[in-house]
Amino acid sequence: MKFLSLSGFIGCALGMALGAGFSSPAHSANFVIGEHTPLSGKLARVGTGSHRGVMTGIKVLNDKYAGQHTFELKTIDDESSPAKAVSAVEKLASEGVIAFSGGYASGVIGPASEAANKAQIPYITFGGVATALSQRGHEGFFRINSAAGYGKAIVGLVDEMGLKSVSIAYSNKEATHKMAGYIEKKLSEKGLKVSTHEYDAHVKDFKSIVNKIKLRDRSEAILMVGYESEYVGILRAAKLLKPDVKAMIGVWSLATGKMAKEFPDLMENVYGTAMLPFPVSFNSPKQKLFYEAFKANFKDEPSYLEQFGYVQTRLLGEAIVRAFDKNELNLKGIAGELRKTDEETISGRVRFDEHGDNPEFVQRVGQHQKGTIPLVWPATSKTGEKVFPGTPWQ
Amino acid sequence: MELTAQAIFTGLLMGGFYGLVAVGLALVFGTMKVINLAHGELVLLAAYIAYAVESQTGINPLLAMPIAMAVVIAASLITFYLTNKIKKDRELNSLILTFGLGIVLTNGLLMVFSADIYSTQNAWFMEGLVIADSLFSMRSEMLAFVVGLCALGGLYWWLNHTWHGRAIRSVSSNRDAAKLMGMNPTKAELWSWGVAGVLAALAGVMLYVTSVIHPPIGHSLTIKAFIITVLAGMGSIPGVLVGALMIGVIEGLTTTFFQSSLSELASMTVFLLVLLVMPSGLFGKKGGH
Repeated sequence: MKFLSLSGFIGCALGMALGAGFSSPAHSANFVIGEHTPLSGKLARVGTGSHRGVMTGIKVLNDKYAGQHTFELKTIDDESSPAKAVSAVEKLASEGVIAFSGGYASGVIGPASEAANKAQIPYITFGGVATALSQRGHEGFFRINSAAGYGKAIVGLVDEMGLKSVSIAYSNKEATHKMAGYIEKKLSEKGLKVSTHEYDAHVKDFKSIVNKIKLRDRSEAILMVGYESEYVGILRAAKLLKPDVKAMIGVWSLATGKMAKEFPDLMENVYGTAMLPFPVSFNSPKQKLFYEAFKANFKDEPSYLEQFGYVQTRLLGEAIVRAFDKNELNLKGIAGELRKTDEETISGRVRFDEHGDNPEFVQRVGQHQKGTIPLVWPATSKTGEKVFPGTPWQ
Repeated sequence: MELTAQAIFTGLLMGGFYGLVAVGLALVFGTMKVINLAHGELVLLAAYIAYAVESQTGINPLLAMPIAMAVVIAASLITFYLTNKIKKDRELNSLILTFGLGIVLTNGLLMVFSADIYSTQNAWFMEGLVIADSLFSMRSEMLAFVVGLCALGGLYWWLNHTWHGRAIRSVSSNRDAAKLMGMNPTKAELWSWGVAGVLAALAGVMLYVTSVIHPPIGHSLTIKAFIITVLAGMGSIPGVLVGALMIGVIEGLTTTFFQSSLSELASMTVFLLVLLVMPSGLFGKKGGH
């Protein structure tokens, strides 16, 4: 009896040891995520911000799944070039990445995500808002924001201001062109008189455009749909010519701490879309998690770029883990899990429709006020009140 | 009327700045028949030096001029040294070499300064200037225009009234004959690259105080400078001024009366039309290339 009980004990112990040895590798994995992003070229600034957010997402995932799974990031600089982005995706696909997080600019993301689709690898981004990107029938294409979200914010703000006429100065690049078209359509439907002025990305002097707005349009507000250097050019011209407007409103990349710091004299009372106020304050547990993870690697403060990069990566990572647990670590499995996402993230609610778009995405609007940027729209996200009417020269 | 006057005024100011950017390229092209595709990046380098000096010391960026000149002259002379090493098909191979140098410079600036946009923090430059109650400009734009005119005028005088200037012109005209006359062509070419560096430095500091800088704009400056150089005619300084003013005014009027997205198209169209009628450029010698 003693022998039997001892042998039984030894047998059980051996069985448990063998069982543990066989089961551990099956429940842990190293997930390699690929990223192509502009770290040089025209879009280097936004690409670098996005990349830092993606790295922060990877860190949070590794911390969460420490001892269980690891996440590895492989990044290639696409130099703001569509051709190089495609090469980057193909190279990373050949190296065995299981998903892509990244990319900036619709003109780059379009071909890059085509390449990812051909390689049957899911692709998530925040950097391309062109509507056409999500209409191609790609099962694995996802984005956490959209042009509509930015447009809704601007239209909502203008509506709240009660303006009767606006002039839109917009860059002739694809995303800005379409955004301007969307805003023009929506505001015209509301009965506003809308004038539009297209400009080429190479334009440095905006006095002619602003002068036309001042002398011909005589609008109540100027909407700027472009990028940082263009905003500065338009605002400089406007500060010089002083058109009789009640507000200067921009879309992306304007209501940021960077702009407040670099161009304080130009930014006062200017509006722009912003997910976060400035200085940022992270109060909720999710926000603090992001902030602490970010500060562990980077000295300065995160902007909306880092925030979006983080959110898309973290959602992707969670979907990958769920797909892995179901033994469906492929395009269908990961895409299926991403489609089940419905989460209140630090960038607002995220869920994906059949096209991969996030229909819940609505941007917020901030206004530069004496070196800070409180959120002034929508009412549910306000951290301050609008200064209206208000322009940098008043 | 007010719109037209402002458009022309803005165009003239812009043209003056374009002339300042282009004249360095024109000088080297005229002397060595070499198109320095890194010229825009040299201008940008000077702009970044002005930024670095202002951001580190808080002083007026114009005071960064001596440092900017020293650095850009050195970069220009290095480019000359490398170009001079080309023995075969110099006109084509120098294009490739300088294009590569331009990429190196752009990415070097990107690595050091990042891709963020910068502009002067000195409010004096951004203050408005009003002429005749209806013509508006920033002080910096008027300053850039005046500096451009002075630089072009100074260079024209130097080329015509100094020994080194005449040496450069003679080498440009006929290298072998100049050698026979006792001139050292290599030294003359060295001078032209050095002076081109000075002009690029001037242009760069003016760029910093008038506009926003970031790494990719070097390339567009080179293209603009090249177009003006060809439009002007081989090595013609008055041609550079006239060509630059023409391009500036065309762009201003197109932006005002049509769309700014057509401004480059308009200036290109005029450029091609001029070359159709005057293949040597506005002030080029007939039969020249």
